[in-house]
Amino acid sequence: MPIVSADDHVIEHPEVWTSRISRSRFSDRVPHLQRQPDGSECWMVEGNRLPLLGTGSAGALRSDRSGEPRRFEEVPAQAWKPLQRLAAMDRDGIDYSVLYPSVAGVAGETFARVADPELELACVRAYNDFLIDEWAAVSPRFVPQCLIPLASIESAVAEIRRAAKRGHKAVIVPPVPDRLREGAPHINELAYEPLWNICEELDLPVCFHAGSLPQLELAPYAGLSPRLTEAMRAITRPAGITSIISNFIVSRIAERHPKLKVIFGESTVGLVPYILEVADYAFVQRGLQRQFNYDLTLSDIFRRNCYAVSWYDNAGIRQTCDYVGAKNILWASDFPLATSTWPDSRSFISRFSERLSEVQRQRVLCYNAAELYKLDIKP
Amino acid sequence: MEIKYGVISADSHAQLGPDAFLARMSKARFGDRIPHLRETTAPKTMLTRQSDRIVERWFVNGKIEEPRGVANCPAMMEDPSRTYFPQRWEEVPAGVYQPLERLKELDRDGIDAEILFPNPPTQEGVFFQGDAEFELACVQAYNDALMEEWRGASDRYVPLALIPYLGGIDQTVAEVRRIARLGYRGVVMVAEPASAVRGSGAWALAADHPGYKLKHFADPYWNPLWAACQDFDLTIHWHANAGIRVLAPVWKGYAPDQVWTSVVPAGFSALSQFIPLLVFSGILDRYPRLRWASAETGVGWLNYVLDACDHEWERRRLWSEGIAIRPSERLQRQFYVMSWFEVEGIKGCRLSPANIMWESDFPHNPSTYPQSHKVIGRMLEGVAEPTRRQILWENAARLYKML
Repeated sequence: MPIVSADDHVIEHPEVWTSRISRSRFSDRVPHLQRQPDGSECWMVEGNRLPLLGTGSAGALRSDRSGEPRRFEEVPAQAWKPLQRLAAMDRDGIDYSVLYPSVAGVAGETFARVADPELELACVRAYNDFLIDEWAAVSPRFVPQCLIPLASIESAVAEIRRAAKRGHKAVIVPPVPDRLREGAPHINELAYEPLWNICEELDLPVCFHAGSLPQLELAPYAGLSPRLTEAMRAITRPAGITSIISNFIVSRIAERHPKLKVIFGESTVGLVPYILEVADYAFVQRGLQRQFNYDLTLSDIFRRNCYAVSWYDNAGIRQTCDYVGAKNILWASDFPLATSTWPDSRSFISRFSERLSEVQRQRVLCYNAAELYKLDIKP
Repeated sequence: MEIKYGVISADSHAQLGPDAFLARMSKARFGDRIPHLRETTAPKTMLTRQSDRIVERWFVNGKIEEPRGVANCPAMMEDPSRTYFPQRWEEVPAGVYQPLERLKELDRDGIDAEILFPNPPTQEGVFFQGDAEFELACVQAYNDALMEEWRGASDRYVPLALIPYLGGIDQTVAEVRRIARLGYRGVVMVAEPASAVRGSGAWALAADHPGYKLKHFADPYWNPLWAACQDFDLTIHWHANAGIRVLAPVWKGYAPDQVWTSVVPAGFSALSQFIPLLVFSGILDRYPRLRWASAETGVGWLNYVLDACDHEWERRRLWSEGIAIRPSERLQRQFYVMSWFEVEGIKGCRLSPANIMWESDFPHNPSTYPQSHKVIGRMLEGVAEPTRRQILWENAARLYKML
């Protein structure tokens, strides 16, 4: 059985946008690398500074799992070159890798902050083309997921149609558009109906990845060492998705779109039983069924529509499989983040596999993702 | 005290009466700033609807505290959705604020004893509305009132003390010494003092005292407090989110009960983002006999925290950063957590049952009252008797020295 890592990140190279977006039209507002006075490099996006790896990380490829490259030439090839990535996957025993961005935001949030809607759309399209031309074209083992512009729902829908034709298998949506872009409606608003409609129509999963907004995570204490600070960040990021999950199941979006599939990237599974149990308790105690006539309990909405992504949390996985359902869990190596199981994924997998039945194990490691992303894998 | 029902609620809320502060604070010195009830119009909040009626509210240093009502006791208000807060003092049931009347409610619900956390006007356990002198006077009045009126009435009550923050660490430690002598066994704190003062609403300082900036939780500034709590064997308590707020924007299209349901998992589990700091700050290593407890949080999220801290500790070799012991072992030694209904949370718990305490959260909205034994039956179905006893009363009896 092939192993699918359902949440990994590409690192975008310096020419992703400059080679695809007209400089004559957007001049130096096009995302490009810039050398800083201290010798390090950063991205410039519409005049704003962005870290070299965006909200991503290449920590797994550093010998001490600490710090990040300061210049692009220090970024290890496995992080940004598809052929070297395939070799890294082979070393780790991974057959398929579902790709999320880094510079464009681990949750696809970077360009939502670009004020000019035309530039936002150009950046999104360039990323979507880059992922097909430079990654998916190299190997069917890479599973591409597209970004969308948030300035206009119509252009988001048009871009999803275009990206799906080009081969994208899912749609990355930052779950807090109203906090990223002035004037963007809250994710629960009916304004997004065309977005959910097209995803349902084309059977494309929607991905809400953790890390979309710094305010969802407790800022690390400045007095900690860099390595402890990075460890804190790795723990607070999945925890920050709690209110995104609970909002989604209360929102009724899934009731209007019963076939919509929603993946909570980098969520871990440890928090999910807790979120669902507490939400169900409040659902009953606050009389939500009586007042608003929900079709299902909140945990059943999750069971029908949602997926959580685990990488290391083997203690919680058995319980989550039993209580929530093995069909709601995906596994990932989370490469190349420092928290990643790479290059020890086989031992992580065998540790948690001991806790699962064979059917559960197959669902989590392969068949759930194979179905969601329509991979060419026969059970 | 006698254990009759086999259940101690490790998190309930005592409501002080209208005169608790007036009787203990200097009228000459503080005048109208003293916490008291006053008539006003009802303010609108995310969780309540607008109303024009004349109501009462607590005023502290001239500002409304708890916009929803005069007491937080929806479990006692005969409201099926449990959202109603009494709007005037005469509506508040005696079992909420009269210690002897309250004992009847405990008997009705089959509860032997309660650990007492605060209620309005200091739901959050802080008095940040004024200057340091005012804060200290309010805190001392609260600590005196709770010990005299509640513990004085019955040993079935174990009150927890508040601490002052604004007058410097010496003043904080002096009050800790004082309450330890009064017989307190624990204190209630905000989790992150630095953001407590920078925050908004109930956490914010009055505009006329903008100068306060409390030190970060992990700053050595607080060391004398940790040392004092360790020396006096006082457990430090965080309640619910303890001031940590990490929420996605709440949708304006929700009705109040949907707002609650959509935010409550993140609200109760907010400490999932803070406990890693408790571990990685090294405070537990430096004060190995100091104990922490989190109330009204549930336990399910803690399983994530234990897994996540252990994983990052291993992956990044954090023993080389001074975190000598595996985080889950460290928390096993020094951290207690309370839960009131979770079947899955208990089932999946990675902490030993010796660290879990049951709570009723009486008389707040999520409370199991008056069906606590029914909820416990469902929660602990299939759990072995010795473990049940630990969770339901033995751990609390030991931690708070109740027998």
